[in-house]
Amino acid sequence: MNWRLAALCIGGVALLAVLVIVAGVSPLEAAKSLFSGTLGTPSNIAGTLRETTPLLIAGIAVFVALRAGLFNIGVEGQFLVGAMASAVIGLRFPGPGGVVLAILGGMGAGALWALPAGLIKAYRNGHEVITTIMLNTVADRFTSAMVSGPIKAPGGNTSTLPLTPSTSIPSITIAGVEISTALFFGVLATLGLAWWLRHMVSGYELEATGANRTAAKYAGIETRRVTVQAMVISGAIAGLAGSVQVLAFEHRFYAGFSPGYGFDALGVALLAASQAVALVPAALLFGVLAKGATVLQIDGIPKGITTVVLGVLILVAAAIRYRRAKAIA
Amino acid sequence: MSLAVSMAGITKKFGSLTALDSVSLNVQAGTIHAIVGENGAGKTTLMRILYGGLAADSGAIAIDGNSVQFSKSRDSIAAGVGMVSQHYAIIPELSCIQNLLVGAENGTIIDYHAAIKRATELAARMGFAFDWHAEAGTLSPAAAQKLEILKLLWRNARIMILDEPTAMLSPHDSENLFESIQKLVELGSTVILVTHRLPEVLDYCSSVTVLRGGKVVADLPVSETDGARLAELIVGEALVAAPLRTSPNLGPVVLEISSLVVVNERGNEALKSVDLKARTGEIIGIAGVDGSGQRELVQAILGTAKVKSGSVRVANLDSAATTAQRLAVGLRLVPEDRHEEGVVEEWSLEENAALGLQRLSPCAVGSTVDISARRGFAQRIADRFGTRHNGLKLPIFSLSGGNQQRFIAARALGCDPVVIIAFQPARGLDIKGSADVYAGIREAVQHGATALVISFDLDELLVYCDRVVAICNGTISVPPAGLELDRATVGKLMVGTA
Repeated sequence: MNWRLAALCIGGVALLAVLVIVAGVSPLEAAKSLFSGTLGTPSNIAGTLRETTPLLIAGIAVFVALRAGLFNIGVEGQFLVGAMASAVIGLRFPGPGGVVLAILGGMGAGALWALPAGLIKAYRNGHEVITTIMLNTVADRFTSAMVSGPIKAPGGNTSTLPLTPSTSIPSITIAGVEISTALFFGVLATLGLAWWLRHMVSGYELEATGANRTAAKYAGIETRRVTVQAMVISGAIAGLAGSVQVLAFEHRFYAGFSPGYGFDALGVALLAASQAVALVPAALLFGVLAKGATVLQIDGIPKGITTVVLGVLILVAAAIRYRRAKAIA
Repeated sequence: MSLAVSMAGITKKFGSLTALDSVSLNVQAGTIHAIVGENGAGKTTLMRILYGGLAADSGAIAIDGNSVQFSKSRDSIAAGVGMVSQHYAIIPELSCIQNLLVGAENGTIIDYHAAIKRATELAARMGFAFDWHAEAGTLSPAAAQKLEILKLLWRNARIMILDEPTAMLSPHDSENLFESIQKLVELGSTVILVTHRLPEVLDYCSSVTVLRGGKVVADLPVSETDGARLAELIVGEALVAAPLRTSPNLGPVVLEISSLVVVNERGNEALKSVDLKARTGEIIGIAGVDGSGQRELVQAILGTAKVKSGSVRVANLDSAATTAQRLAVGLRLVPEDRHEEGVVEEWSLEENAALGLQRLSPCAVGSTVDISARRGFAQRIADRFGTRHNGLKLPIFSLSGGNQQRFIAARALGCDPVVIIAFQPARGLDIKGSADVYAGIREAVQHGATALVISFDLDELLVYCDRVVAICNGTISVPPAGLELDRATVGKLMVGTA
């Protein structure tokens, strides 16, 4: 990573301290409980890593699209439909085989949800930010409607039935810390993504399309096809994040399933800038702040404070990116 | 008759380059005065100085006999000078009346009623009619041009500079435009016309100033000249250096363009039935003024243009081949706009070395990138024409323009080229650099390639090419046998007076 990211992190912590003082708590006290609540005990570490997992995978989804010059705001919606599809498939086909089917189904659903945005961008030049925002709203309403009706479990809650214990992504325990294997998969996927972008011609062509569409076209790259592919891959990975959330952690789908992972993932990818491997620490930072929010709440600090910090981090990261782009133009 | 404009001893330098060298211009009031010259002759610079967009290093300007000093275009507008530039300054999202007013509103709160009343009066005087509330984006190029002229009238301009006003117009619309311009003059305006099209000068202007290399080479009444003499004055009679060519050893046709019609973004036919055959072993120069269809020709050969009819065959491919297929059989490009079309600025030299060659050896093995071979290739092409750089891993924007040009010219020649399309390959290069690049093209051609060199500089083409054809108004004209390198012949063809 670079010094800018480090400066951002320090700035974020400083801002947090100021806000904590405003909220009427000693920052030292808050820092202590933030640390112990997120990284202090094995179970708290596990909680932080649990938050990190969907953020990392969804962050990969945003990152892939960004490298192709696309701002996929639709990761949230793709996450939701992916999660719901996985829950439905997992309930229909219990057992380890069902897990595989549920993952594939979740990825497929996410990909399909991103496809219209990709096509509209490539062939009608309709901006992907607008189309994916609209698709998010549709996904939100659609999954809410589904879970209130057709796939609702009997009883009061707007939720599906729980999956059987065998229909889940296993976790392992290292030094008392329970870690989902999905997190390892996410880290591997990040490394794989970095390798693909650097070592495969298709990765090169994707980055060329994102960096200079005209030059890419002159270099014989089918920029429209790359645009659609990048959007579909991004959607599939976002769907995978939803799958993992269902199969590894929640074991069912319910209304209001995502606390905004798809949007936080935008911040993760923006913080990672152009380095795929930087997604891992960026996701971890977001994971700490997400887990920390609940801890601080117990101390009487409003949950919104960490959201403010995240918001500022994203804005500054975006400003740095934008400034760079201007300097080149 | 009195002088509307008098510019005396105008000199303007950009660094070491003298764009204008003690240029004088006298324009009689109530006339149409033409300014002609090749690209880079200094026409636009001179007009920008007159308009106040640029300050001269020395010299004096008088408008209607009063000495003036413009530091910004607002001053020149106040003095009655207005300019319509080549690229219209129409804001498509605004209505026609808003476009007319923008920057010269009739009050803090715009009185649209009064504005439309006056605008309609001005339009009627010129014989124009506008739907003032229509979006300007819906206007045809000809109507947009008319709106630009009205904008000048709205601002009470009496001296109007029109820069290539017919560049985007059909012949019919051009005729109409000149009727309007003549009407302007009857109504008391003075018009300065910057153009590449000599028939316009001969048919409509009363006097003409010819610029070449930043100097006035002629200033005469149109009645005392003709198209051939003007063309000769424009291209000049500078000494042609001894050509480098040996008698070309011609091979098979590797690029065949037949009856090609290409439509540009505006829906106009930018290329009208172009035929051209290029054989291995020859360098063909394509001479023409900017905007004659060169861009569309390059795009058609590359396979990215909208081809209406006709065909382009690169090597043994049919005309439906994709750009990637064409590159795979050896089509190579030195693009016109390096930044937009040739490089990814924030990428390293190594990464840029592969752009366009990314699927080919040595940059790729199958579907994987061969990073070490790519580095070697980047090193070779950087060395080829002496690109000065501080490391192949640094972004290419860290290089000067000339060094970037060396790098991408070498890239086009470095990987088994068969058809080389070079759009001003020596752009921004000094004499040594230009000679190196052309020697590289010559070498490639001798090893079984063909090269199409497109340039606005006829002299450069005459020096380095085996034959030169002219492109004018979307049509390619081939000089008669024996006159393929005759400056006067090609010069006439490229301005459409032959």
